Amino acid sequence: MKTESVKGTFLKKLETKSMFKLTRLKEFLLLLLHYKVSCIGLCIVMGIIILAIFAPIIAPKHYAEIDVPNKLQPPSLAHPFGTDALGRDIFSRVVYGAQIALWVGLLVVLVEASIGISLGIIAGYFNGKIDKIISASADIVWSFPTVVLALGVVMVLGPGITQVVIAIAVTSWPGFTRITRAKVQSMVNREFVLAARAIGESDLNIMLRYLLPNITSTILVLATLTLPSAIISTTALSFLGFGAQPPTPDWGAMLSEGASQLVIAPWVATFPGIFIVITALGFNLLGDGLRDLLDPKLKI
Amino acid sequence: MDAPLLVVKDLKTYFYLSKGVLKAVDGVSLTINKNQVFCLVGETGCGKSVTALSITRLIFYPGKIVGGSIIYEGKDLLKLPENEMRKIRGKEIAMIFQSPMKSLNPVFNIGYQISEAPIVHFNLKHGEAWKQAIELIGKVKMPDPEMRAKSYPHVLSGGMRQRSMIAMMISCEPKLLIADEPTTALDVTVQAQIMDLLLDIKRRSSMSIMLITHNFGLVAERGDEVAVMYSGKVVEGGSVKDVFNEPLHPYTQGLLRCIPVGFERKTEIDYIPGTLSSPINPPVGCRFHPRCKYATEKCIKEEPKLMEIKKNHIVACHLCGG
Repeated sequence: MKTESVKGTFLKKLETKSMFKLTRLKEFLLLLLHYKVSCIGLCIVMGIIILAIFAPIIAPKHYAEIDVPNKLQPPSLAHPFGTDALGRDIFSRVVYGAQIALWVGLLVVLVEASIGISLGIIAGYFNGKIDKIISASADIVWSFPTVVLALGVVMVLGPGITQVVIAIAVTSWPGFTRITRAKVQSMVNREFVLAARAIGESDLNIMLRYLLPNITSTILVLATLTLPSAIISTTALSFLGFGAQPPTPDWGAMLSEGASQLVIAPWVATFPGIFIVITALGFNLLGDGLRDLLDPKLKI
Repeated sequence: MDAPLLVVKDLKTYFYLSKGVLKAVDGVSLTINKNQVFCLVGETGCGKSVTALSITRLIFYPGKIVGGSIIYEGKDLLKLPENEMRKIRGKEIAMIFQSPMKSLNPVFNIGYQISEAPIVHFNLKHGEAWKQAIELIGKVKMPDPEMRAKSYPHVLSGGMRQRSMIAMMISCEPKLLIADEPTTALDVTVQAQIMDLLLDIKRRSSMSIMLITHNFGLVAERGDEVAVMYSGKVVEGGSVKDVFNEPLHPYTQGLLRCIPVGFERKTEIDYIPGTLSSPINPPVGCRFHPRCKYATEKCIKEEPKLMEIKKNHIVACHLCGG
């Protein structure tokens, strides 16, 4: 309960300092910045987002610009991260890679969450047969190793980023389903749901207007924590050559290109690798911070 | 006299548990007249709430309504398809629950929640419904309705939450309001206020109230008709005056004896010996016989039927003229 008092006093200080009433969003953001863990996470995530949005401005060169005479240059002022086997500027490629990593990560989470949450709510709301069928299929999908199953899906659909998104989303929705189902089940017998039924709400309305809003905080945290694993899974598939095709600057593909030159030119694989780690770390820290903040037991 | 508003006949609601069939409601018959306060009393676990939930068909797995009929304005509610039933819930028959603490959705403000039912039933626009909600909040006598409409349930007191719940349930002007122990979780002064409010609304909008309660004082003061339930069955029913002045069933007599009277100094409050028999394995014969001091051979063997002893006073006991 120490956190509670810290949160409270911090907010009081803020209120007196600023002399105006904080809006809820502002209050939330300030709290998020107040904690070291979530602050670092938020900064990293914001940094990556800025990189992705302003990639054309930040990157000194286009990601596909080939400059063979300058191949495998070590990091220098002209090429901060060095150049790869075709003389392409690695810094520019890493910056453009942020676009792909974020885009793919968000898309995977979006698809995964919409499949997972809708199945989870249905399973939790309707007990009995429907629940058993959905839970059993979730268990079956969950027991497959994600990357291997995704490999199979990519084999069928062919390589490419869209296919990777589909492959990963199709194989990892049970995480969302399980948590949503558990949350909904704990709520469906609460009296406010019964009251909703008593005023004549339809099942769909109860699911969307009563149950879903009550689990948003959980879903938000879960989505933030799923994003890094989605990014890692896509890079893994790209590393294996099933994801982004050249010259797309995907971090995973860059890793695999650099892997063969790891001894003579370590910078080719190192920098994309570092960015994968930092991005994953940033989202994980932010997710942890969000979880602490949105925990109803720690409400101010 | 007008035709009754709601007639429940031989209602049977069973719960199919792994231990056996729990007969929560086993052949209950009730008649609720228009513009009346009908009280349902009995000890915990005798099937009062299940009866109420059965009327709105809010019984879920593993429970099931297995028999009987509920006639409301000429329609048998048990035979209506689910989407027809949904139109009745909230609009015709509304229900207030025991714990106002848990009956409101924690993530929406109460104005939104109160405007929900009119939107569902009358296709009102959000703006109109919101205005109506503010009006309703005023009607349930909460101060500063416009500000209150924007409050979330967790900032309201228990009494205010129950008032919001009432506002939510009367928003479509139902003809029957089922109040399932509406005052249990509240303290005594608030209890009185809430009951006054309910009766005031009843008077103004001519609806009937089915009041489920443990509180005999409340029944005596505010009730018109009363039915006493024991172990899933109605054992005595009639006008409040008759039942209170001349309780015929030994169980009703016992219950009334349990009420402490203010000016008497007693070291011990009367009670009915024994506990409620298990509804999974009810005793044969009269279900009350293990606890009844007048029990005879006949009570152990044969189940008494409800009989009209005099006009508008029914009782199920072998000792009363049976």
